[in-house]
Amino acid sequence: MASNKKYWKSVEELKEKSSIVDTLKQNEFFEEIPTDIFLGDKETLETSSTTRRDFLKYVGFTTAAVTLASCEGPVVKSIPYIIQPDDIIPGVAEYYATTMADGFDFANVLVKVREGRPIKIEPNKDANGITNARVQASVLSLYDSLRLKGPKANGAEISWSEADQQIIAKLNEVKATSLPIAVLTGTSASPSTKKLIAKLNETFENVTHVEYDAISESAALDAFEEMYGTRALPDYHLEKAEVIVSIGADFLGSWQGGGFEASYSKGRVPTNGKMSRHIQFESNMSLTGANADKRVVIKPSEQNLALIKLYNAVVSGILTTEETPLNDTIQKAARQLIKAGSKGVVISGIQDKNAQLLALAINKALNSEVLDVNVTKNIRKGNDAHVAQLITDMNEGKIGAVIICNSNPVYTLPNSAAFVEGLKKVKLSVAFSMQDNETAKAVQYSLATPHYLESWGDAEIRKGQYSLIQPTIKTLFNTRQFQDCLLAWTGSTATYYDFLKETWNNEILGGASWNQALHDGVFTAEAVQSDAISLEVDLETAASQLAEVKGSDLELQLYVKIGLGDGQMANNPWLQELPDPITRTSWDNYLTMSKADAEALGATNNHVANGALNGSLVELTLNGVSEILPVLIQPGQAKGSLGLAFGYGRKQGLKAEMQTGKNAYAFYKDFNNFQPNVSLKLVPGEHEFACVQLQNTLMGRGDIIKETTLEIFNTVDSKEWNIVPVVSLDHNEVEAGSVDLWDSFDRSIGHHFNLSIDLNACNGCGACIIACHAENNVPVVGKEEIRRSRDMHWLRIDRYYSHQEDFAGDNELKANGKGVMGFKNAMDTLEDPSENPSVAFQPVMCQHCNHAPCETVCPVAATSHGRQGQNQMAYNRCVGTRYCANNCPYKVRRFNWFEYPNNSKFDYNMNDDLGKMVLNPDVVVRSRGVMEKCSMCIQMTQATILKAKKEGRPVNTNEFETACSIACTTDALVFGDVNKPEDTVKSLAEDKRAYHLLEHIGTKPNVVYHVKVRNTQES
Amino acid sequence: MSNKVVQAMYNDDDILMDAVKEVRAANYHIEEVYTPFPVHGLDKAMGLKGTRIAITAFLYGCVGLVFSIWMMDYMMIKDWPQDIGGKPSFTFIQNMPAFVPIMFEMTVFFAAHLMVITFYMRSRLWPFKEAENPDPRTTDDMFVMEVIVDGNEEELVAFLKKTGTVEIKVTEKH
Amino acid sequence: MSSHYEAPIRRPLIIGDKSYHDISVDVAAPVEGKANKLWWIAFSIALLAFLWGIGSIIYTIGTGIGVWGLNKTVGWAWDITNFVWWVGIGHAGTLISAVLLLFRQKWRMGINRSAEAMTIFSVIQAGLFPVIHMGRVWNAHFVLPLPNQFGTLWTNFNSPLLWDVFAISTYLSVSLVFWWTGLLPDFAMLRDRAVRPFQKKIYGMLSFGWTGRAKDWQRFEEVSLVLAGLATPLVLSVHTIVSFDFATSIVPGWHTTIFPPYFVAGAVFSGFAMVNTLLIIMRKVSNLEAYITEQHIELMNIVIMITGSIVGCAYITELFIAWYSGVEYEQYAFLNRATGPYWWAYLLMMSCNVFSPQFMWFKRLRTSITFSFIISIVVNIGMWFERFVIIVTSLHRDYLPSSWTMFSPTFVDIGIFIGTIGFFFVLFLLYARTFPVIAQAEVKSILKSSGEKYKKLRDGNHE
Repeated sequence: MASNKKYWKSVEELKEKSSIVDTLKQNEFFEEIPTDIFLGDKETLETSSTTRRDFLKYVGFTTAAVTLASCEGPVVKSIPYIIQPDDIIPGVAEYYATTMADGFDFANVLVKVREGRPIKIEPNKDANGITNARVQASVLSLYDSLRLKGPKANGAEISWSEADQQIIAKLNEVKATSLPIAVLTGTSASPSTKKLIAKLNETFENVTHVEYDAISESAALDAFEEMYGTRALPDYHLEKAEVIVSIGADFLGSWQGGGFEASYSKGRVPTNGKMSRHIQFESNMSLTGANADKRVVIKPSEQNLALIKLYNAVVSGILTTEETPLNDTIQKAARQLIKAGSKGVVISGIQDKNAQLLALAINKALNSEVLDVNVTKNIRKGNDAHVAQLITDMNEGKIGAVIICNSNPVYTLPNSAAFVEGLKKVKLSVAFSMQDNETAKAVQYSLATPHYLESWGDAEIRKGQYSLIQPTIKTLFNTRQFQDCLLAWTGSTATYYDFLKETWNNEILGGASWNQALHDGVFTAEAVQSDAISLEVDLETAASQLAEVKGSDLELQLYVKIGLGDGQMANNPWLQELPDPITRTSWDNYLTMSKADAEALGATNNHVANGALNGSLVELTLNGVSEILPVLIQPGQAKGSLGLAFGYGRKQGLKAEMQTGKNAYAFYKDFNNFQPNVSLKLVPGEHEFACVQLQNTLMGRGDIIKETTLEIFNTVDSKEWNIVPVVSLDHNEVEAGSVDLWDSFDRSIGHHFNLSIDLNACNGCGACIIACHAENNVPVVGKEEIRRSRDMHWLRIDRYYSHQEDFAGDNELKANGKGVMGFKNAMDTLEDPSENPSVAFQPVMCQHCNHAPCETVCPVAATSHGRQGQNQMAYNRCVGTRYCANNCPYKVRRFNWFEYPNNSKFDYNMNDDLGKMVLNPDVVVRSRGVMEKCSMCIQMTQATILKAKKEGRPVNTNEFETACSIACTTDALVFGDVNKPEDTVKSLAEDKRAYHLLEHIGTKPNVVYHVKVRNTQES
Repeated sequence: MSNKVVQAMYNDDDILMDAVKEVRAANYHIEEVYTPFPVHGLDKAMGLKGTRIAITAFLYGCVGLVFSIWMMDYMMIKDWPQDIGGKPSFTFIQNMPAFVPIMFEMTVFFAAHLMVITFYMRSRLWPFKEAENPDPRTTDDMFVMEVIVDGNEEELVAFLKKTGTVEIKVTEKH
Repeated sequence: MSSHYEAPIRRPLIIGDKSYHDISVDVAAPVEGKANKLWWIAFSIALLAFLWGIGSIIYTIGTGIGVWGLNKTVGWAWDITNFVWWVGIGHAGTLISAVLLLFRQKWRMGINRSAEAMTIFSVIQAGLFPVIHMGRVWNAHFVLPLPNQFGTLWTNFNSPLLWDVFAISTYLSVSLVFWWTGLLPDFAMLRDRAVRPFQKKIYGMLSFGWTGRAKDWQRFEEVSLVLAGLATPLVLSVHTIVSFDFATSIVPGWHTTIFPPYFVAGAVFSGFAMVNTLLIIMRKVSNLEAYITEQHIELMNIVIMITGSIVGCAYITELFIAWYSGVEYEQYAFLNRATGPYWWAYLLMMSCNVFSPQFMWFKRLRTSITFSFIISIVVNIGMWFERFVIIVTSLHRDYLPSSWTMFSPTFVDIGIFIGTIGFFFVLFLLYARTFPVIAQAEVKSILKSSGEKYKKLRDGNHE
């Protein structure tokens, strides 16, 4: 680089034509370079060992060395604590009690926190908390990379202070115009929040608080109010019930906020000869219907009539004259109800006030002790009338400002267009939202709120049962709670935490310790005085009004899926991949249709070459609104009825992979899940389903799911109904389990783990699947891979339909198939399910066989048996021959077909740094080409042993747990040590209902199943 | 003594056989016979001893068997016994049925390879080994008999001429 | 000439008026001559397929086994199908050279060289699949009982897959030395005929300096005999062990005690078919009709017919036993095999393997070169489908109906299979141009007993 700077060498240069300067110009160097010193004397040069070649070699080498040195290996970031917080011990999990209350799910939970990261949700059993799949998965939504990361004004980011100034200013303008300020929230059940909204009202006057549930329970609330004076939901203690008659109520799903599975299954497990009888009238095949003893398939409109008939039969003893099969079943149901008396209960899911009134009336007439009108539930408060009113007012410009919180009306409202119009007409529209969702886009101010695991709060889930919400991690983004904002806007300087604590100390705790309450997560007030007052209701008119509800030859019944619920967690890959317990189809919603209707319409379901399921497309139209939907033929769907699930079809703020299904809210006219007068049109094209179970029936293989009826169970010896397979040894038949080629290992020393699965208690809800996902870092593979039958779930829940009306019928049909052709015909027919099949669920995970077929065949001994009964996988030894998976009769081994983490082709939580924060550091993330499977949560059992050791005590009774056994609210999954007589699992393993899956192969599994007992007593 | 040899070449195996017999009858010492293919009975005619290579094969086989037994006993029973599918790893004999295939394979492996290596060593066959056959045609269709000369060259040559040779050469053998 | 007596009824194995020298010339001809156009076309096609295969393999290893059509239920499909198919083909060579040697069948001498070559080349293809079907090929050395830094980390000698490792490697290496030992005198012949120094050098090296001393021949024959004695049980054991991969499992349709003999028969069946395919072409191309006579083809056809019938019996037995067992899982497995979604594969297998060889009962057909060629192809298609049927139809519907699914191959599956076929022919074509494709030394030794000319002479004398 030639620089034109001129450097002075000497004063001589000032003179022009100075000889010295000239000479200086000529030669570059002032003095001679002493080359001759070394070039001069020849001999040293000759003798020197360094030749020109050597020199070049050295140059070459150094260059190479330098180049090599410059390439660096991958940098693994690990940030040490500068000052280690004294309450965190690295490697030891902390548990915090908090509460999930997102307006749809309400649950008292324990949060497992590792090194400051919440990584798992568990039920807070002390506060009889129940965690369904959504609650389990909610922890992943915390790490959703597409969350709203800060406050925005008209899409542009602003600071909180600016937001506050502008909003307060606008609110004051509105105040001046004396137009009402509407606060539109989902059900919060939070006393303190109520107070804050009241406070807002004090400051800005006529603030109206409208509560809105995306999936409405208004009818039930109104009915209860009319009958008992308070606008709340009654509770049902199903464990007390002997007869449960449900008319269209999916109470094992999210009917009235759900949470009944625990009490239901308590009554379902036959104890001293008794179990409840469950009769279900419904049109869609719901999870509840699948678990019922008797399932009556009727169209939604017929459900009204059924309810009326039942009412007449039970209350006024009128027996309808004409003898249709439906009447017959209703008569029988009625008789059983009357027989059960106070131990009977009728539940209705019909979104019609009159229907709800009749249901309550029947229970009243029975004076059912199952129905609890005193300790009411506050988990649904929405009022359809108010919401409808609000929208009209907004459009008429009668609303000054709208503040939306914990709700996504733009997505969930059937008439969301009108709502969006209305929003344009109000002076100020604010939305508090965790996600950058449709509503957040539609309003002026979208304010980022923290996830419930980052927030303070409270909720009164049941009357007098208060729960606290506490943060378990510092807010990840620049978020602020709704409540903090309200405080700021009402000119208070206090934080919500202070306010909350104050409120509780003054109004709730009544002197009890705040810290204790925070520790427990709940506080129950002693005496809850009931404010239920019995009012007189004109039920005759109710009945007659209900009778007037017109059906049509094609009726749509909207329903809620276990996975996505109301759709607010649609960006959660765990929930998207969770197969629907009934259809076992993930990543979609679809129109369920009866086989007959499908044939009439020409709609088909077919399998492509690799087995994946495809379905025809139809156009569903309901007065003007129409949508192209795939058809899934659903056994047990009422003829002339269709089913469609809420929660799908969201686009805004979702990863491309998550934008699945179609929005069913468009058909949610008048917030009624029953919609007559829909029309269907077959349209060209096919839809690709991601269905994990392609064979729906059990093929008459009665030894896979053993079943019996209550009578037989009570009267006959277990050998009859729990048949143990026999083999011939020395020409006499002996039990298959007793025969052994070799002398066995001694398994009586130390711990030996067993997992017991009660097929009566299990209702297939799938909470365990998500728990397993979270605990074991199970990857999400996405729709395409599911279609290739490559789901990675370590724990799956198989669902089987019967071909006859029950499985016993299938077994008979198979037995009667004599000869080769007979057998062939039997098998061919058994392949398709019945019109109204009986359904069985069976959770299957690694059976941890003591004689494991997978272990024998592994060439590298990557899988072998542990001393505690576990079949263990050494991932870093595995070379991936897949021989073990082929030889596994239970098909529970899962192969890593691709590299799932850090792979842009699998853009789920394991592909971004935020999503990876949910990973459990105790469980390795498997690499490509490795076989993986259920480990019986060995990391948990080892931790338990270690804990006991540290505390210098033996492991307590029932202290051992696995992720699935903790998550299971119905106690269907019980884990423990069979070498420990006190452990529950010990007795369960020896129970007369206990059997092993595919016992005749002689794999000697450590997972025990319990024969399913059905209560078929008709009267 | 001088190591002069006469190389008598024949173009037919039967003629060669007769020649060999005659030469031996006349108490000349046959140094070596080169043939393009195995001529049956030639070794007997030349009075060669039978080869013992089959016996070595048997011994090598035994080594292989013993080695495989030792290997599997050490790896599966002694060093790190595991509970694999409940199969008894307490003693070798209990687990042995599963080891039979490999015991057999190792036996064959050792027998075959070590025997062939022995053969190559004894017959001095290995890559880059220079061929030593006196005439390139001996691998095609010619048969060469080398008879040691000790002072009786003319007589020997004359004798061989009678045995139906097609060509005779007297050379120094190194 | 009495020493060379052979019954006149025996048809000559060497046609025409051949002298020892003629044999040398004929065998050396393809090596010394120039490759014709046909060879180049065939070679370039094979090479292309080979390259495609390499591409597919690299893609698989780079991306994951997921690029194949496999799934959670069907963990093996084309990979192991191809493996068993190639191993099976391999068996003919050893069988011809070993078993027929023990039975002193002279007709083996015309074909054993090429048959053994085919064995080695196809076992190479076979060996490829157990390696690349691993999820983590880079850890393939885990299957060897190597001392390692963990000291106690050994392989699992209970696993049939590990038995395979030993069986296949033993089989490959033993057949290789067997083949090579046989080649030494023939290489020596080429070496001594060679005019170009380069050729001389190469064949000099390959022939290990063979000179043909009486003692060497004595040892040579002894070694061949012992190797044959070892190779015979070995060749039977290899496919037995391959069949153990399935027979020792608990999958209905795999767990079958008939597998070992049935697999061996199948192997010989497909192997002889492949030998026919190759030799029928080669005898034409390298005009060796004098040495690989119609009689050779006919004899091999008879073997094909017999083994084919054995395989057929095995199929029927399987079905019968499944029904007779009274185990519904077994019964369903075979019902599904024959009438399930893969019925077409079962039908193909049956018609190709059981029915087509029955034509060989007719002398006119089994002596017809073209027909033999067609059948040899048909049989190998059938045998590929046999393995496919056994593996896929047993896996895709086993115990728990909830896991039932289907398999369909991807272009990578197909690519790798085509690739191995290409690789096989690349090797064989190179062999045909550079190796003595006929064991000329051995053939010379039977010229006088089984050569047409000499037989004529003798039979003349007898009258």
